[in-house]
Amino acid sequence: MRTPAAAIAWELCRRHRWGLAAMALYLAVLATTRLVVLGPEQGVTFEEDWQFALAVIVPLASTFTYFLAMFSFGLGGDLVARRSIYPARMFTLPVTHAALAGWPMLYGAVAMAALWLATRWLALWPSGSDVPWIWPTLFAAVFLAWTQALTWMPYPLPGLRVAVTVLWLTVIGCVVLLALHLKAPEPVMLALLAPHLPLAYLVARNAVARARRGDTPDGWEFARLWRIRDGLRQRRNRFSSPARAQLWFESRRQGGSLPTLPLLVAILLPFELSLLFVFRDTPTLVFETLAAVLITPPFLAAFVAQPRELTPFLATRPLTCAALIRAKLGATIRSTLASWLLVLVAIPLALALSNSWPVVADGAGRLIEFVGTPRAVVLGLLGLAFLLASTWKQLVQSLYIGLSGRPWLVKASVFFTLSALTLLVAFSPWVIRNGAMIETLRQALPWILAVLVCCKIAAATWVVLRLYDRRLLTDRTLVVGALCWSVAVLALHGVLVWLVPTVLVPGYLLALVAILAVPLARLSAAPLALAWNRHR
Amino acid sequence: MTEPVIQIAALTRRFGATTALASVNWSLPRGGVHGLVGANGAGKTTLIKHVLGLLRAQSGSVRVFGLDPVAAPVEVLSRIGILSEENDLPGWMRIDELIRYSRAFYPAWDDGHAEALRETFGLDPMAKIDTLSKGQKARAGLLIALAYRPELLVLDEPSSGLDPIARRDILAAVLRTIADEGRTVLFSSHLLEEVEQVADHVTMIRRGRIVLSAPLDRIKAEHRSLDEAFVSFTGTTADRTPGESG
Repeated sequence: MRTPAAAIAWELCRRHRWGLAAMALYLAVLATTRLVVLGPEQGVTFEEDWQFALAVIVPLASTFTYFLAMFSFGLGGDLVARRSIYPARMFTLPVTHAALAGWPMLYGAVAMAALWLATRWLALWPSGSDVPWIWPTLFAAVFLAWTQALTWMPYPLPGLRVAVTVLWLTVIGCVVLLALHLKAPEPVMLALLAPHLPLAYLVARNAVARARRGDTPDGWEFARLWRIRDGLRQRRNRFSSPARAQLWFESRRQGGSLPTLPLLVAILLPFELSLLFVFRDTPTLVFETLAAVLITPPFLAAFVAQPRELTPFLATRPLTCAALIRAKLGATIRSTLASWLLVLVAIPLALALSNSWPVVADGAGRLIEFVGTPRAVVLGLLGLAFLLASTWKQLVQSLYIGLSGRPWLVKASVFFTLSALTLLVAFSPWVIRNGAMIETLRQALPWILAVLVCCKIAAATWVVLRLYDRRLLTDRTLVVGALCWSVAVLALHGVLVWLVPTVLVPGYLLALVAILAVPLARLSAAPLALAWNRHR
Repeated sequence: MTEPVIQIAALTRRFGATTALASVNWSLPRGGVHGLVGANGAGKTTLIKHVLGLLRAQSGSVRVFGLDPVAAPVEVLSRIGILSEENDLPGWMRIDELIRYSRAFYPAWDDGHAEALRETFGLDPMAKIDTLSKGQKARAGLLIALAYRPELLVLDEPSSGLDPIARRDILAAVLRTIADEGRTVLFSSHLLEEVEQVADHVTMIRRGRIVLSAPLDRIKAEHRSLDEAFVSFTGTTADRTPGESG
């Protein structure tokens, strides 16, 4: 290696050799099938859409996502932190900002282009569809370039990186979708996308330059909240207990005085709710907009739910593992409630200002007419409780993995989750179209749920026994926890039985659903994971 | 006879094929400054992590104040002050927040002492930890380790965070104060000069084994210097100052 460019390329390839090898293997199999087994003249065809999805779309999408993470250095960086995720060790290399930003961007663009062109060439697309060659290549490169530029940028507030990147990439995606909807010809698509590459490069170069000189802005300086915070601090002079101190610590470390999740929700809400002003005359779009707003907190929670590393400073606080977990759970409850307070205040306000109330009132009226007032009210409350619980669950359900401090476990978990999602996406269209399969699944549903419940109870029993053996939770806590869980399950079951006619869904099925819905095993495993990490 | 502060018996620790600690037996009596010396990678930090309960004994036992630090972290850690080489104080906190936060965990926290230490160390209460120099961060770490007058102060390679002046003046003064009050200090370093300045008792560790544990005076009497004892027992060259460490 004689040049910095070669060294950077080598590092990227060396670090991701297994991922790249897997992709090369896939392309080799595809190429062999097409060129050797079937012959150059005959393309690889798929009888069913799901086969095509499994063989082409899923690997393509997975590799696309992998490239995004690989070339933006996202696999090794803290996406929620204020500082740049560009590896700091590379800032000491004797190369210019332009080289630091430019080479990974160039390699990424080439890799994305190669991925698309190879897939386009090797796989024969179904229904004789005319899949374009050039503009998707450019789109993939642009998508990656902006991901790089925006994730390498230092930000004034924690979590802002995720919000800005998601928003901007969504905007680009929407523009492309709109152009496709309007049947824009290829030259127009190219004209739309091409200017993004130099622009993203300039932003990335600026981001790297700022990160290199340690120029990380402090949001609180911008917000001029110093005086307010100092005043508050002087008033709150002393914590009443270690638990209160730890709760404060967990709330603060999620990102300044405002936790990350409410902050992200506050950033996205105005954009989403502004659509009500546009769609107020179309009931379907009003309800779709509201649905999007309502799923925003749980959706964002999945992104901010990154358990922080257990530092020696934290590990040596004189607190039990259970107390450390309790503080984390308390902080996530605060974060969830704050986010939903924003949503619940913003929605009526936006409905009133956009004159969309009549549309919503009409919808609610029809629901009341259909199920009756009590059921409609309970349904609404249950929906809200479900969304609140989902948001909180997203924040805490991966604690048992993240707090273990084992990177291999985190990676394996991500791999299995993605694999499961991939299979679900690939097979669900086929299942939906297959009447016999749906009937089989319908008949097997009680058994499937029963097996899942057995797995959950078995896992929970194992966790509780370990917690008891290691004295990580007191006997009282274990008993109270079990009681609370049972009460929650019974209450949910009662509401479901009242809400859903048992003629339609049998009571035992609703009981199984209630057992599966209330968190138990993964949440209980969090202290165990923390202890495993804390006392290695 | 008083119970030792730390009592380690037949402690073995392996990381894969590497044996970091090999059947270590070690006892730390109450009072005085105990230097733990060894070359880099000898096993000092691994031993200290067992004392703090950050590593679970694979075989053998560890008792601190007569308790298992893994089974009773609250009881053990609330009596220990810690300043480690990593000194990973939360960067987002300010000094006054760090004090306020730390105070909640220690019933014996002495506000007056904390304030005196803060002034001695020249720490601005409004300064954010992220913006402090390495030496200032070490001072902040020392402040929260000392403000509740812990029974046992554990300093793991603290000099890597301190500038020469702080190393010479602050550390020696603090260690002496602690020792004079009948408290116990465990001071780990690969720099013999530092250990020689402050320790009453020296334990040498080599490749995961305790090769010598004796009062400093006796070591000096039996060998011409601590350096010579170190070379003779560990088979490695002694580091005198941070600049010479290798």
